[in-house]
Amino acid sequence: MKKTSPAYIIIFIILICLVFGIAVSAVHYLTLDQLQKNETLHRNRIICRAFDLPVSGSDVASYQSSVDQFIRTDTLDYQNRKMEIFRYAGPGAAKVGFTFSGMGFWERISGIIVLSPDLNTVQNIRFLEQKETPGLGARIEEQWFTNQFKGLEIDWNAPVGERVIVGGSVAPNAKNRVNAITGASQTSMALGNFLNAELEFFRKAFSNSPFQTASLPQKKKLF
Amino acid sequence: MADNPKTIFIKGLWNENPIFRQVLGICSTLAVTNLLANTLFMCFGVLFTTALSNFTISLLRNQIPRRIRMIVQVLIIASYVMIVDIIIKAVNPDIHRFIGPYVGLIITNCIIMGRAEAFASQNRPWPSFLDGVASGLGYAFILIAIALVREPLGFGTLLGHALPARDIWWHQWTIMVMPPGAFFMLAITTWIARNLSSEKLKAK
Repeated sequence: MKKTSPAYIIIFIILICLVFGIAVSAVHYLTLDQLQKNETLHRNRIICRAFDLPVSGSDVASYQSSVDQFIRTDTLDYQNRKMEIFRYAGPGAAKVGFTFSGMGFWERISGIIVLSPDLNTVQNIRFLEQKETPGLGARIEEQWFTNQFKGLEIDWNAPVGERVIVGGSVAPNAKNRVNAITGASQTSMALGNFLNAELEFFRKAFSNSPFQTASLPQKKKLF
Repeated sequence: MADNPKTIFIKGLWNENPIFRQVLGICSTLAVTNLLANTLFMCFGVLFTTALSNFTISLLRNQIPRRIRMIVQVLIIASYVMIVDIIIKAVNPDIHRFIGPYVGLIITNCIIMGRAEAFASQNRPWPSFLDGVASGLGYAFILIAIALVREPLGFGTLLGHALPARDIWWHQWTIMVMPPGAFFMLAITTWIARNLSSEKLKAK
């Protein structure tokens, strides 16, 4: 059969697609179990870091054990939307956290934010998934950025979009403000926007749930 | 085409460097060089993919119909990139979380397609493999050189570690974080490299 004949071309392309398709699929299926374990490890690790939980090791079992021991996972069902929340059941203050998600500059960003029992202060924030620009928006996962949220006060008196401020030049010393990322204005703005929306949803859903133990956020001035 | 390994390496690393001589792979050069760690991972991905895809395309070079050779080359390159992506994701998910966005970019890297078309489709498998390695190393050489300037000036760090006494002397060059800084650094690096290589050619 001549290499220039249509029959040869069609047979060749089908064969090469089959060979490489099977190779890629094989690698994918061989690693499926490991990918699932990695996903579970990643999620539990983020929960442990968000709540500052003690962990005995660095393997899947250690993180799972810590989460099982100190965290109660529940679901808020409010206005046709389910939100996963985490209630700290260890010694000390009864922190509460929830999984947030929103549209970043490129794709969805998700993470876990932990609040104080009275919901007035952010204790910690950690990101589960983000696909922002590496070196720019992706830096939201770096410690210097997430550390800004520790102790951040939420201005519940402000309009929804200004309860937590990411970047911007207005009120640079406000206690509810964190610095944006240089060169990642769109990611920073998007994060601020959906974080405020998620906080608002959580506040309403949590106050209408049987899990709420603290009073609703009190009005107070922040600066 | 010369099959001498030394010649292949010298060409890939310097005389026919894919960045400053052939001006290929510029997109990723501009995108990843603001951080050295990202640069190193990208370089590894490109080197691995270029070498293996060159080898495979060379093995099949006498069977691939001329009319569909580019389609087949892209298919082979994309397959290797996907395999690399899946393996990194399974073996080290933390690194994959770091470099995942770059891995897909490797498919569109002109260097890989360029070497497949210019060398692998016309030479034997082993020299093609070496050519892939040499091109990858030449690419890595320039990218690392640029990143060694951009990250310290733009972030005050190197591989994520703060520079010594940074609080005393360092001022951020925001432009080095942004794409325009990449353009400037690429142009300067190209100018320096071409001048150095021109001197060597004149000396001969």
